[in-house]
Amino acid sequence: MIIAARKISKYFQVKGTGLMGGGASLKAVDDVNINVSERSVVGVVGESGSGKSTLGRLLMALLLPTSGQVLFDIPDDILAEYDSALESGELEKLRRIEREYSVYTKKGKELKKMRREMGIIFQDPYSSLDPRMRVMDIVMEPMIATGFKRRDEARQMCLRLLEEVGLPREFAFRYPHELSGGQRQRVALARGISTLPKFLVLDEPTSALDVSVQAQILSLLKEIKNTFNISMLLITHNIAVVAYMADYVNVMYAGKLMESGSKRDVILNPTHPYTISLISAVPGRSSKEKRIILKGDPPNLVFPPAGCRFHPRCPYAFNLCGWTSDEVSVDLEYLLLGKYYAAFGGDVQIVPRDSLSLLVKGIDSKRLLQIIEAEKGSLKSLSSISNVQDFEGGVLVSLTKFVSPSLYNLGNGKKVSCLLYSPDISMKQDIINPEK
Amino acid sequence: MSEILQVRELKEQFYTRRGIYKALNGVELKLNRGEVFGLAGESGSGKSTLGLTIMGLLPRNASILSGSVLFDGIDVVAPMRDYASKSNHRFSFRKNERIIKKMNEELEGVRGKKIAMVFQDPMTSLNPVLEVGYQIAETMLFHQSSVLAMRRLARAKAKRADLEEAMKVIKNTNGDETVVERFFEERGLKGLEEQVLSIWRRPDLPDARKEKLILSLHSEKLGAFESKVLKLVQERGSVPSWFSKLPLFGRLAKKVLIKEGYRKAVELLSTLEIPNADKIVRMYPHELSGGMRQRVVIAIALANNPEVVIMDEPTSALDVTVQAQILDLVKHLKTKFNTSFIFISHDLSVLAEVCDRIGIMYGGRLVEVAKTREVFESPAHPYTKLLIAAIPTLEEKQIQEIGGTVPDMRFPPSGCMFHPRCPYAMEVCRQRVPEMVKVSSDHHTACFLYSQGEGST
Repeated sequence: MIIAARKISKYFQVKGTGLMGGGASLKAVDDVNINVSERSVVGVVGESGSGKSTLGRLLMALLLPTSGQVLFDIPDDILAEYDSALESGELEKLRRIEREYSVYTKKGKELKKMRREMGIIFQDPYSSLDPRMRVMDIVMEPMIATGFKRRDEARQMCLRLLEEVGLPREFAFRYPHELSGGQRQRVALARGISTLPKFLVLDEPTSALDVSVQAQILSLLKEIKNTFNISMLLITHNIAVVAYMADYVNVMYAGKLMESGSKRDVILNPTHPYTISLISAVPGRSSKEKRIILKGDPPNLVFPPAGCRFHPRCPYAFNLCGWTSDEVSVDLEYLLLGKYYAAFGGDVQIVPRDSLSLLVKGIDSKRLLQIIEAEKGSLKSLSSISNVQDFEGGVLVSLTKFVSPSLYNLGNGKKVSCLLYSPDISMKQDIINPEK
Repeated sequence: MSEILQVRELKEQFYTRRGIYKALNGVELKLNRGEVFGLAGESGSGKSTLGLTIMGLLPRNASILSGSVLFDGIDVVAPMRDYASKSNHRFSFRKNERIIKKMNEELEGVRGKKIAMVFQDPMTSLNPVLEVGYQIAETMLFHQSSVLAMRRLARAKAKRADLEEAMKVIKNTNGDETVVERFFEERGLKGLEEQVLSIWRRPDLPDARKEKLILSLHSEKLGAFESKVLKLVQERGSVPSWFSKLPLFGRLAKKVLIKEGYRKAVELLSTLEIPNADKIVRMYPHELSGGMRQRVVIAIALANNPEVVIMDEPTSALDVTVQAQILDLVKHLKTKFNTSFIFISHDLSVLAEVCDRIGIMYGGRLVEVAKTREVFESPAHPYTKLLIAAIPTLEEKQIQEIGGTVPDMRFPPSGCMFHPRCPYAMEVCRQRVPEMVKVSSDHHTACFLYSQGEGST
């Protein structure tokens, strides 16, 4: 494996919400495992704010994680050893392997060597190139900074690289502002591969470019990958680009890995509800297929939804997906003060008690139960209500305890983080109305 | 179908320090009523320039060499064209600026009222220091202050009995617009019908709640002084100019009208499927998400029921899932209001979703115009073919790249602009500019491959 991330998380401290002592944190990447094997292109797809760029930076050790490890250039047998040690909790062994392969423990000369073997290309070629440097200086800088080449050798190398990325030699003496977007991205690519890295992170390499230029850059990337034998991590929100480039696809949502597997498995046979809706949202597909349009926006990651982070928007959500009393009270409020307004005239009060129960005043339990039964089909959160009983002058509504999904293995290297695919059969019996 | 907007042989150039930039080179465009026309092309092909020219939003270094933009009985660019033809080779920025200023004054009553625009980035096209509701209300205050006054007065005049009867009419006809409109007009309550109907059409509320909201419309009282002001505004058709000379008075009149504008903003936002619109109007742009902000911008554009809306890359700054929501919304709007749209995007697959017809632009000209289906199924122009082949899809398909780059429009290639990159280029392409020819009914292209009736190669 070129890169293996294990249980990696990054929480950013958020200022100004320090009511609970230490302050709140934004869970940008939460407990993510990812593998990049030699000479493969691994895609990471997700909406903006899903943590895909943070993940890319963590893998490059440009950011330090809150927890977890990233192992670089680790032989497969040692990685297997590490994984088994992780499961059994043998700290001694973990430390030993981490000391040698972790990207975060490296210092000094070792770090420089590692930096040489990694490269990154950023999204916006207009802001990632220093306007005061000539193209040649831009491309030479990483070679000199990491001690890969001396100045005169670097100059030779730079000219060769420019040819490789399809730019004429005289461009070496131009400044970035003289170049078009596509040409700048080629320069960024030349800089990224200048130290002949083993691993390259492409952070939205084509989203600032036109379709025709995008096609040029994508085929250039394919060419470069083959001539230089580079493994790539392709971060993008464009599923079509991932489908074109990647061998292996990871889908992220709200900092969590939702689905991963080979391109064929994920793009052509999406399993996770989020992947299904993401793929159906790609415009320009045949109109025969029914499009699933997700409601709402991605969640606030300072207070992410409980259980599965996708459940508030999920068209297949059921009782165990992570409903809490806050969500149920919003829906009950809509029902009792909205839809059934005529029946109660607005005298109903809803008070959440704790995360799994709430008190409804001004209605009797029988009537409430009727309403809940009638609306279960359209409002997913109501399916989580397990018990309704009279209590202290109101009605106590208690909810089923939710289950957080983990990555379930579906065979063939395909993994899905959705309770619908949980191997636990007792859980499946509780599923009310999973398809609709 | 009748034409609402016509662009004829439009040629436009920009004078820059590095030379004359020939942005538009003879654009021909006809927009029918109630249709969505898509404009596609690479950056630098002139799609945005065309959009801005139709709006008459031009910088001082722009010069219209020939052609016209006919909309609403006027030629938007006429003063600039006249200046360009008079000035010949001595183009003066200062004189041009003066002409543009005059043109802008003339267009004030048209822009934002009959023709509106949605810009690419919702982060920069909203004012960060004003509540979004105010920004929607302001456009109406500027163009339709009498409508706002009428709405408010109608509400003050209405009695509970009127509204109860109106409820019956609505229930019987299931919200038929013409019947309800006639009902209110007979009672002298014009302006109330849209308020009642917009509540009735809200998808997020149950009927009982809607009825209560409609019946509560009459309960707002209006002061004698305020009603006098509003009546004045309604009679004049606009805010009289001497209002602003009386400091307190002018501000008060504005306050009453803006307050009514907020109500209309709530109605607009709820037709755009924004939940809790009454809270959203009190928020500032930074408190909203990207998709929400774009809806607000669309609401501002639709506030005065314009006949044409130009959308310049409305979804490019948004995520795929949010983009799908916005495209869905545009499809609904197309059927709901009888508005024509010009939808500009570099992404052909986005256009395929919403457009009736698509025009492909290259080098400041439309090189192909056809029905959306035909553009994808039987593209005629080589550029269109290559553009479609360059889009990566989910299916396993080798994407094709278009060699070369967009021409430098300061020194455009001779003949057909596309010939340096065209795989089918012939000798004639280098020498003459191809005319638009008919490929089939409603499918036109500017390419010599089709001009002798040969069909495709």
